[in-house]
Amino acid sequence: MSLRLAGARFKNASTAAALALAAAAMLVPANLLPVLTTETYGQSRSDTIFSGAVELWRQGLWPIAVIVLTASMLIPVLKLVGLGLLLLGARRGASSDSRRLTRLYVAVDFIGRWSMLDVFLAAFLAGLIRFGELATVVPRSGIVAFAAAVVLTVLATQAFDPRSLWRVAPSSSS
Amino acid sequence: MGSNAPLICHLCGQEHRAIRLEPGEKALCVRCGAVLAQGVRSGSNTALVFAITGLALVWPATLLPFVSAGKLGAERISLLFTGVRILWNSGMRTLAVLVLLCGGLLPLGYLVILAVLHAPTGLDRQKYCSQVLIRSAIGLEHWAIPEVQVLAVLVAMIKLGSIVNVAIGAGFWCYCAMVFSLLIAQHTSRFNSTVPLSAAGATGAAVPS
Repeated sequence: MSLRLAGARFKNASTAAALALAAAAMLVPANLLPVLTTETYGQSRSDTIFSGAVELWRQGLWPIAVIVLTASMLIPVLKLVGLGLLLLGARRGASSDSRRLTRLYVAVDFIGRWSMLDVFLAAFLAGLIRFGELATVVPRSGIVAFAAAVVLTVLATQAFDPRSLWRVAPSSSS
Repeated sequence: MGSNAPLICHLCGQEHRAIRLEPGEKALCVRCGAVLAQGVRSGSNTALVFAITGLALVWPATLLPFVSAGKLGAERISLLFTGVRILWNSGMRTLAVLVLLCGGLLPLGYLVILAVLHAPTGLDRQKYCSQVLIRSAIGLEHWAIPEVQVLAVLVAMIKLGSIVNVAIGAGFWCYCAMVFSLLIAQHTSRFNSTVPLSAAGATGAAVPS
């Protein structure tokens, strides 16, 4: 038996579903609470993920705004929708969609890491911009909720066993 | 591991019989289309060379100035993990540990494992130990994400351009080179997640068994 198969006992759909639900719940505070507070010349401004991206867009930095919005809002939502489809597919077992769903699993597995962009961004800005009254960046609680959501989606993907998409459902006894 | 061992697709569980691959050839699962094995195009020591290069770059990346920012005569030099220290001191300790792990410690661990696995006698001496290392390497693939940190720093520097004067330090370039080495080592490794573990170490392709 291969090692990967031996590790399969830790994978099951209910664990993946529970982790995905927890991630969805964490995305609510992650998007409502401020992730960063910028203090410049005594003036303070707190931004959520969305308002930070909108501010970037207003400043003309639209490519950066698109990257932040994609990594921090679009990818987590797409991952959760993808996981939902995979869990439904796993319940159904082998079907004509199994191949397509397997490709979806590979895509969901690949894109997950890029959601960590905002977490690294907050850590970097907090470390660099500390000029006292002139300019200071302080991380806020929203970034903790966001990091938790990202970690939970990665764990949910790891908990999902793609081979469940190919299992032949037991025929009902007549 | 013998070349007669079956290749089991890690995505759908389909068994295949192993056959020899030419360089650059890929063996695809007949059922789900996943890549089961790849013929190695580069030299057999490529992964080892890049893993060691990455390891050598970890220390300058950590110790040399990463980025410096200046505003009205005041200057602040940031190292790779200055942000981690600030997060830790701000009470966000879980977040600090997460950033430290994903951006620093796990990539380092991944490079060490890749170097050990591809070392000339790495596999034959302790088969059980090697299997544990292979499993660890595949697990680390999801969490060792320094390339995301590089993108985050680039985004931050563009964002900061209008607020402060930002200058890239030698540490950042070393970190980028380390990330590049890690990605090449991972791509050329015989033990990445595209190759099922039952086939690890064998140059095999697949036909249905």
